[in-house]
Amino acid sequence: MHKTNLAGRAVLVALCWTALAAAATEANKPRGLPSGVDHTATSPEWETIRAKLFQNRSIDATSGKVQLAVPLRAPFGAAVPVKITSGLPQSPELYVKRVYIVVDKNPSAIAAILDLTPEVGQADFETRLRVDEYGHIRVISELSNGELHMASRYVKVSGGCTQPPNRDQLHNIGKTVFRLPEGVRKDAPTPAEVQVVHPNDTGFELNQITVMYIPPHFVRSIKVSYAERKVFDADVDFSMSENPSFRFNFVPHGAGELRAEVEDSKEQHFTGMLAVSLP
Amino acid sequence: MGALRLAATVCAALLAWSLPAGAEGIPEKYSPVVIRPAGEPGRSEFDLTAVAERAKRDNKRLYVYLGAKDCAYCRRYESFLDENSKELVPHFLEHNYIVVDLRSTLSVTQDKLLIRVGDSSRPYAEFQEAIGDVRARMLVYPMVWLLDGNLKPLMQMPAGTGTFQTVPEQLEILQLVE
Repeated sequence: MHKTNLAGRAVLVALCWTALAAAATEANKPRGLPSGVDHTATSPEWETIRAKLFQNRSIDATSGKVQLAVPLRAPFGAAVPVKITSGLPQSPELYVKRVYIVVDKNPSAIAAILDLTPEVGQADFETRLRVDEYGHIRVISELSNGELHMASRYVKVSGGCTQPPNRDQLHNIGKTVFRLPEGVRKDAPTPAEVQVVHPNDTGFELNQITVMYIPPHFVRSIKVSYAERKVFDADVDFSMSENPSFRFNFVPHGAGELRAEVEDSKEQHFTGMLAVSLP
Repeated sequence: MGALRLAATVCAALLAWSLPAGAEGIPEKYSPVVIRPAGEPGRSEFDLTAVAERAKRDNKRLYVYLGAKDCAYCRRYESFLDENSKELVPHFLEHNYIVVDLRSTLSVTQDKLLIRVGDSSRPYAEFQEAIGDVRARMLVYPMVWLLDGNLKPLMQMPAGTGTFQTVPEQLEILQLVE
């Protein structure tokens, strides 16, 4: 009996070793673009998305009118910090009308489409994304005159869509909070942050206890206004990190209320507000 | 799919259990300074005071590795270092790294792990926050810090080692490519 157990265990261990050795060999092979990364390269996924979103329109990837800052290796694949900077002030004559954020290799590659107004003042945004495997993050800026400008970065992270989420705040789901980290500037772009407490479940995360997949449940849209005037609408999905957030700008011309209307994939509706008074 | 993942977890556990004694840690070829934890059960304190003083005195950088003896991913990274030592060791030397090997176990979770520097002993999250490392919210084995003699990060490192387990990628890390 003892021998049988030992023999069985030895076979099992040998099988595991073989499988893991094969996996390790595979993992140790150079993959993606391990060095000399080309941040501006294309990918088959991007070509498909590009055709779908922009057809044959020309996209300028060298103008510098939009810039993207993303670390090559983020600490966590489920929360990759992304900073978008526009080289163009928002004016009624010419402004950034739409911003597309694409993660080439994600199961849902179009992470966000932001529809902007001149009320943004300066089309700079920060957010956090899930990145599922080595690949490019792209931001495409569409101007009100129809021009398209792009910036891209190759990133080396993985597993962002499958990492078990932090589920500490389920009782607060939908809680939507604004912050004004630098105070208020009258008639000038004023930085603001909006965050929605939400697990933003992708549907690819495994519950470590039940070993069942957690059903998808994620924020679909965040609509931000100030003094009843639209600042931006964001169509988003599970490529946004849990507790989706945006740092953005708005231009307060007088006292008013910052308001966010949030809808998720279960058609739940949440609202966040912040009264803003001018100095 | 769920069953597959469970099988993978069981395999990983078996792998960790079946690892030969003595295979633990950064290979000797890297001349690691091995630091074992002090403290009572349930509290593992790693003292970085001496290596920090040495780094400061000799104008060196620290490549601090936290591994667990029962962690399959740690073994994988250590094997990678072992298999590629001929190519990698000269680069660790060229870039002035002292390799520090903190020996832990998976049972040492972030609330049980402390880092001592001089008179100050801080829990993992507090230490990370103090040096400005955003991995404060989660301890993942294995973990690597690149630090100067003042224990300030030379760059923000990712959780785990999976994104630098090829020679070109390990070189990117040593060269602080961000």
